Amino acid sequence: MILKNFGYFLKEALISLSRNRVLSLATVTTMAVCIFFLGVAVLLTVNAGNFMNQLESDIEIIAYLDDPLTDEELKDVETDIQSTAGVQEVTFVSKEEALQRLQEKFSQEDYDLQQTLGKNPLPNSFEIKALNPQEVAQVAQAIGDIPGIYKVNYGQGLVEKLFQVTKWVRILSMVFMVILALGAIFLIATTIRLAVFSRRKEIYLMKLIGATDWFIRWPFFIEGIMMGLIGALIAIGLLAGGYTSLINSAQTALFFIPLVSQQNFLVQVYMGLVAVGAVLGIIGTYISLNRFLNV
Amino acid sequence: MLVQFYNVTKVYTNGVKALNDVSLKIERGEFIFLMGPSGAGKSTFIKMLFREELPTQGQIFISSRSIVRMKRREVPHLRRSMGVVFQDFKLLENKTVVENIAFAMKVVGLGNREIAARTAEVINMVGLKGKEDSFPGQLSGGEQQRVGIARAIANRPLLLIADEPSGNLDMVTAEGIMELLYNINRKGTTVIMATHARELVRDAGKRIITLEAGQVVSDLCTLE
Repeated sequence: MILKNFGYFLKEALISLSRNRVLSLATVTTMAVCIFFLGVAVLLTVNAGNFMNQLESDIEIIAYLDDPLTDEELKDVETDIQSTAGVQEVTFVSKEEALQRLQEKFSQEDYDLQQTLGKNPLPNSFEIKALNPQEVAQVAQAIGDIPGIYKVNYGQGLVEKLFQVTKWVRILSMVFMVILALGAIFLIATTIRLAVFSRRKEIYLMKLIGATDWFIRWPFFIEGIMMGLIGALIAIGLLAGGYTSLINSAQTALFFIPLVSQQNFLVQVYMGLVAVGAVLGIIGTYISLNRFLNV
Repeated sequence: MLVQFYNVTKVYTNGVKALNDVSLKIERGEFIFLMGPSGAGKSTFIKMLFREELPTQGQIFISSRSIVRMKRREVPHLRRSMGVVFQDFKLLENKTVVENIAFAMKVVGLGNREIAARTAEVINMVGLKGKEDSFPGQLSGGEQQRVGIARAIANRPLLLIADEPSGNLDMVTAEGIMELLYNINRKGTTVIMATHARELVRDAGKRIITLEAGQVVSDLCTLE
């Protein structure tokens, strides 16, 4: 039926859009605002997630070694660490290297550590990255039991707090997006209900003549989809423009926040929002139509 | 048998009893006047014919099919076998005469060629030749009701239901509309017409069903 009558449905939808210009405009504006904020929420979530991932991947375990160790013992310790479950990457940091790094931190002050300390007090160490940052504590404990290692450090306490924070940021942003989507559906349903209400006489007549519900629904659906798409395009225009200029200024002023800026990823987000616009249009129309079809 | 009511009672949710134990039969090809004062149950009776309302108790059969047990998706097909004419015409103001009539056929899925042929036919029949491209606002009340009738018969219904079709029209215009309905009936369509106008009914020699307080108080072939 949809194919046979598509021309008719499309024509009816276009006539209705132009006839109810004020209402159509109100609906499109509502959609645009809702989808814009939904887009803001998505970008916030994506960036928060990205930031959290980066923080998590910065977590590493440092295993300090007992001081006099033969090269052979050192090799043994390294193999033991590598064969520990959950270890991704192991880097050896010699005591000379460790001192070098410390020296670099003081470099501006033109201060010779070696001179002051006399001999190098820093131990040899391994820097270990866990496969899954969430498992850092277990991995660290396992490594601490390897003979030849006298101490393991991974930011105990701090890491657990960070995971607590990232977990809540993720949950809250999901909840925020769901609430926004529901709000959008509600607003859209309300504006479309007004448009449908102004045509209730026509709907009643169609029902009495013997039109099927779907015959009556299609023009409204097409109308809803078109309004959703137009609203989505407006929202995405604003969002893309705003985000691009944010990325540009962030590179200089907010360099410490790593914004997601891969073009194809952003295009995916924007296309997703277009689809969301169409779906919101359909759901909103469906909700507001059903009451009037009950004749 | 086209219409059968068996002990039909309708009580609305607000407690109003619109019909009280109504039983009657209507044969194919009959012309029936439905009379009675306002609030007697005429509108409820008519709404039940095209299943806008369902009875609270009792059974209704249209062409031997129970509309009480009918599934929701079968209702459009029931309605396609009927045409409805309204007191306030219910024309779409932004559509021309031709478009208003074609609309009814488009809605039930007829093809464009068939629609064009039937539209011309019914416009001729109701005497609106030359007014095809007028909008309802440009027509007189009588002409608008003719459009309403044309729309109702375009789908070639078995049953034409007219709810006070001449209620908004003067006597002369009303008589013209009555002539048109008799003509349609003569061609085989069953007509049920609700009306207040005794003067239209008096000498028609048709069956008259009178409702009062939701009950059939008389079912005769002439008015006393």
